[in-house]
Amino acid sequence: MASKGKSRWAETEEDAELAARQKREKEEKKRMKAEKARRQQEALEAQKAKEATAATQEDGDDGRPVKRRRLSPEASATNGTGEAASNTAPKLLRFNGGGFGKCRSVENYDKLNDIEEGAYGWVARAKELATGKIVALKRLKIDPKDRSGLPVTGLREIQILRDCDHRNVVKLKEVVVGEDTRKIENIFLALEFVEHDLKSILEDMPEPFLASEVKTLLLQLASGVSYLHDHWILHRDLKTSNLLLNNRGQLKIADFGMARYVGDPPPPKLTQLVVTLWYRAPELLLGASRYGAAIDMWSIGCIFGELLTREPLLQGKNEVDELGLIFDLCGVPNEDSWPGFRRLPNARSLRLPSGKDARTAGSAIRVRFPLLTTAGVSLLNGLLALDPEKRPTAKEMLAHEYFRQDPKPKQEAMFPTFPSKAGQERRRRRETPNAPMRGGAAEIGAVDFSGIFTGREREEKGGGFALRMV
Amino acid sequence: MRSHTYLQDIIFYTTQCLTQSAGLLLQLPQSVTAQANVLLARFWLIEPMLSYEFSDTSAATLYLTAKLSSHPVSVRDICNAYTYLWSDSSPLFRRQPSPQQQPPEPTAYTPTDSQKTSFHNRLLSLEARILYTLGFDTHVALPHPLAITYLQALEFFNHSKSEIGSLTIKYLNTALLSPQMLYLTHQPNALAVAAVYNAARDLGAKMPDTSWWEVFDCDREELGFLVVGMRSLEGWVGKMREDGKGVWEEGMVRRKDVEGEMTRRGLLRGNGDKAVDEEEEMARLMDERMATMEAQS
Repeated sequence: MASKGKSRWAETEEDAELAARQKREKEEKKRMKAEKARRQQEALEAQKAKEATAATQEDGDDGRPVKRRRLSPEASATNGTGEAASNTAPKLLRFNGGGFGKCRSVENYDKLNDIEEGAYGWVARAKELATGKIVALKRLKIDPKDRSGLPVTGLREIQILRDCDHRNVVKLKEVVVGEDTRKIENIFLALEFVEHDLKSILEDMPEPFLASEVKTLLLQLASGVSYLHDHWILHRDLKTSNLLLNNRGQLKIADFGMARYVGDPPPPKLTQLVVTLWYRAPELLLGASRYGAAIDMWSIGCIFGELLTREPLLQGKNEVDELGLIFDLCGVPNEDSWPGFRRLPNARSLRLPSGKDARTAGSAIRVRFPLLTTAGVSLLNGLLALDPEKRPTAKEMLAHEYFRQDPKPKQEAMFPTFPSKAGQERRRRRETPNAPMRGGAAEIGAVDFSGIFTGREREEKGGGFALRMV
Repeated sequence: MRSHTYLQDIIFYTTQCLTQSAGLLLQLPQSVTAQANVLLARFWLIEPMLSYEFSDTSAATLYLTAKLSSHPVSVRDICNAYTYLWSDSSPLFRRQPSPQQQPPEPTAYTPTDSQKTSFHNRLLSLEARILYTLGFDTHVALPHPLAITYLQALEFFNHSKSEIGSLTIKYLNTALLSPQMLYLTHQPNALAVAAVYNAARDLGAKMPDTSWWEVFDCDREELGFLVVGMRSLEGWVGKMREDGKGVWEEGMVRRKDVEGEMTRRGLLRGNGDKAVDEEEEMARLMDERMATMEAQS
């Protein structure tokens, strides 16, 4: 039978030839079919047009062209050029608009496990029964008491995700609804399943990301945000828990519940109640109702800081506290560093230390991130500029010196992998305290913990040796 | 030729006109209303026209498009506008009232509380229904901005830009109403080219001698079809008006009128479900009638 050393299941040359022939035949058939469809389509259109002309003729309206060939000056043009033109058919751009149709039922998916249930609603990992593909099903939160119908935020999220196609933006595969379609109450977004979110990775990792890894993540984030801004979309809720990371080191921006389309000039009276407090730009905190892409860039700055330290950068307890932390880190604004900030609604009553106070004059970023290179500090300083006008755009960020310096951004494929929480993979055991011993429970009594974390942020981190692999 | 499609065309045209009128009353930009027109046409491609009252479908698409745009309107405003357009006081599809006639009492077109609630409920359930039917795909690309860009590229020297531009836009807006559903069968660039062509022709503006439409990715065949399609609507409407006086002078076409007409022509096949629907429909109409009578007394 087969020669030695070769499995008898191995493909022989005949097999290969057969397969190739079958493939050729298939392709040929497909081509023929397409050709036929095209011809039919043409015939149909021609007929329709004919009918339309006939109809107009019937109407007896004499003012309009009765014969189609009169429509074109080309027909009456010199024969030579006319023929030449028809021989070399011009290449016209054809746009395939795709189709539309009813939503499918959620019953096409098999739920595997819950991923999270929180303020954003319910998200679960599910398998599409027909294909076995894994997706994340996100349920649109609907308040039945809301008399304005389906929530506009959810509809915007669907609309924006449908319009987006970028490798760093999570993909919406389809929208499915509950089985009972007489009343549409259960609406699910079938999103591309991504194993991790950056927040849980940061929480679980024993060592922070390497400088090269931080660069890769930031580059991907900036390229995704640049795509969004180029398409007139503001995300308005960038934070580490909304950034997903797959096992191939690809970062994807998710959760467009706050996102919206804007124009240029930006529409007036945008809501200020956007962006999670810790990532909220100072102009929003000061009550600006006209804002733009720069608020997303501020959030990127906060994420940058968080990637370096594994801790959210500015953990304010409320709006005032958040502003205080921002001024602590970035310096106190004055008319030079942020022209016109006094005119913002909440800034009028703001009492700030006078500019002569040396301690508050400048930014503390250099001190807070002693291990960061000069280029890195300049980028972070730019992103966390108080004046939104001074922040770089996402495109400018992509071209920043920081990403060209050593260590170079790590290749995505070389990224470390992590056990996926959403995929229910077992995590490395973390050191946790043991269960309490038998006996009387320890009395804690009334202790004031409020001061326990104060000043934590000001602690020097490292500073001496930093022996790191890049 | 008098069949099903004839009725469908009338329903399509009148409902699209209704959407446009409501858009005007609500002071919505045409970009929003035009999108609502397109969504409605898409919806009716999938869902039978007779499933819901035409004006409700129109109201729900307009509400939905406005909500997603930067010009949202409240349910209350929509309800007021549609109740007016639907009432006997509305001049839509009626003979113009003679100047001597008294203007109608505001109560004749002010919705009662029960009407408001029932309108609100129908609107919300239809909104969800429309989204479900369209697969939540609400993206509409209109040809209007493209047409302006094309006009700028073309430069008709002997005519003022505003004149030819406004005529182009008129052609595009008219095409929204066409039962040929040109906005579903053709891409925005082709629509824009055809509108520019028509406008330039009407004004006698000199067009380039070459096949300029190919620059805008529209071939001659397509252009010809659209040019004729866009021009045919006026004649079609005129003919319909002559033929069916009854339909055009009693206000907006209603579902019960159409069903009556269909039964008369033997088009409506009776089946169990439909009968129940009709009963419900009748009950609803009676309720409304009672409500208006109460309001008037």
